Amino acid sequence: MSHNVKILPGATVCEDCTLEGDITIGGGTVIHPRVTIIAEGGPIIIAEYCIIEEYSTIIHKKSDKQENPPKPLFIGAHNVFEVGCKLESPCGHIGESNVFECRSFVGEEVKIGSGCVIGAACRLTAPQTLADNTVIWGSDHHIREALEKQPSQLLQLDFLSKVMPNYHRLRKPNVHKRQPSTRQSTEPSPKP
Amino acid sequence: MAYLTQPDYVKYICSCGQLKPITSLYFCRHCLKIRCGFCICHEVDSHYCANCLENMPSSEARLKKNRCSSCFDCPSCFHTLSTRATTQQRQVLQDPAAGGDTKVESKQPKKMYYLSCFNCRWTSRDVGIPDQPVASGGWPERTNPHAARVNQLIDYYKAIAQQEKQEKIERERKKFNIRGKYITLTDKTGLTGAMARNIAGLPSSESSSSAIANFVPSVATAEVDELPEDIFTKEVNLNQITSMPQRLASPDWQPVSVSRLHPLAKLLSVKRSQRCRACDHNLTKPEYNPGSIKFKIELLAYYHVPEVKIISHEPVKPGEKTALFLKLTNPTGHEMQLRLLQPEDIPPPEEKEEPKSIDKSLERSLVLEKDTTAFKAIERQPNISATSRVTSPGVTLTLAQRDDAAEYDDDAQHDTNDIILWRKSNKLGVRLELDTSAEAVGGSPARALVALQYSYRNTVPPAPSAAACRDHTLYTTLLLDLGTVSSN
Repeated sequence: MSHNVKILPGATVCEDCTLEGDITIGGGTVIHPRVTIIAEGGPIIIAEYCIIEEYSTIIHKKSDKQENPPKPLFIGAHNVFEVGCKLESPCGHIGESNVFECRSFVGEEVKIGSGCVIGAACRLTAPQTLADNTVIWGSDHHIREALEKQPSQLLQLDFLSKVMPNYHRLRKPNVHKRQPSTRQSTEPSPKP
Repeated sequence: MAYLTQPDYVKYICSCGQLKPITSLYFCRHCLKIRCGFCICHEVDSHYCANCLENMPSSEARLKKNRCSSCFDCPSCFHTLSTRATTQQRQVLQDPAAGGDTKVESKQPKKMYYLSCFNCRWTSRDVGIPDQPVASGGWPERTNPHAARVNQLIDYYKAIAQQEKQEKIERERKKFNIRGKYITLTDKTGLTGAMARNIAGLPSSESSSSAIANFVPSVATAEVDELPEDIFTKEVNLNQITSMPQRLASPDWQPVSVSRLHPLAKLLSVKRSQRCRACDHNLTKPEYNPGSIKFKIELLAYYHVPEVKIISHEPVKPGEKTALFLKLTNPTGHEMQLRLLQPEDIPPPEEKEEPKSIDKSLERSLVLEKDTTAFKAIERQPNISATSRVTSPGVTLTLAQRDDAAEYDDDAQHDTNDIILWRKSNKLGVRLELDTSAEAVGGSPARALVALQYSYRNTVPPAPSAAACRDHTLYTTLLLDLGTVSSN
């Protein structure tokens, strides 16, 4: 286990997952077992209230035209990474309230706004920018625009953070002071 | 499972000449013939909604245009919509006079429901349908803009049909009048035509004629609306425009813009029973309950005809004899005698002319009125071009009856010989020789023909008049797909 992993208080991070490199996990985020997060190209910052489910992979890839110091991969609040999804990104910014459905794949050079849904088993490989509230679904990768953001999973988060400690060994939060860098997004309180 | 996921390697020839795998064939126990979906009558038993499993009589289904009133499909991706609940603080207008009372009320959360698609995340809020206070029903219905015209057309054609019927009856009556042999009801009782019609429950001729007289036919016009000015200059946002399937799914509105997509009422499904055209006996009859997937009558070929599967085979070479391994299964509860024949050896089916009983001929005279062409099964010679033949071993194989308990004892009987490879309860592995013609071209599909002769015990209780003949010898022809002819 790398000592670079910063877990903020309130985060639920299972021990049985691979975290490599400089990773910051925000409060309220739930990381299930068997998750792989690799920050080889630069730091990864995961904001508050994200759900990262089993077998999902988030990689900050090394690229040739690396900036110095390397840019972080910032993942906004309220994102849901469902079972087996994969996100490969050299750098960049992922907005809020996105849903990466089961076994979806987001390749390099894909910029994702807020409120997007990458449907189950959808593969995004070409360089593109997803506008806010874009929904991609089906084997033909149909695209539509939703009117509003996806509803947040606060109830599910509450439940998971209560139940997870009963069945899994957890990593303890190691940062006791809230970092100003992860608090910049304006988020509603966890209780509705 | 193999029948679902793999191509059909073994096909049976139906009595109508179609080639089908055994899983899509039926077996009529009364005609003792294999039937397929093309040569049987399909009848609608009941209408039901596949989502809420609600049963509906056919008259009600017709009234609701064969759609369920409580279930909806997504207009965007055609997946079934689900009802989602949200708790909403009741929005109460700030009324200074009411004071404290409004505060109390606004604290009560109210459940509101909206429709949402789990596949493409479409919601009824996307098109501005207000949330509903009840979980099911109550969704606003849109009326077809052309509803009045459609109803007018339906009335018109009904009136025409009525008129033609009347004219036909009139003509019939005239025919009889000319003969002068029969006294019609009106002559005998002194009823007038209008009164008789009234008694018979037919609408009076005046109303139908008025519907015809008042009908205004459509007029074609060359004038159409001008295209908007910016049609060629405005940038197109494909996310805002509906696709062809989305438009065709709601033919009454055919929305152009995504914001006009409205939930589609779910189409009803039917349970159907199938009937043999030759003897009018049911081949399948489902249980009435929509939740049940069982059948009351289920005469599938899979339960009556010996099943043949290819275990393996040597590469098929032109002009050579190669080995072929087959597995034969007896699905019936009786011992089966089985012989492999050449298709030419099958005796032609005897044309049995049934002795015409009185009620049969009576029935036929009644049926005469109907259009019988719809009920006649067309039989044709199957198109079989097989390059290979399975050499008949000339022995009779005996297959034991199906025994579900035999699955658990695992000692295979070893009465093997040149032909029989192994034997296990009602299954038999056979080694056969395949004779390929020398003209077969390498790379062309290798198909082998084989005929089966099998004994079949009919368990239908015989009709009192018919001879109690229970054991039959039946024939069927199979086409085996053995890949391609190898070229060397």
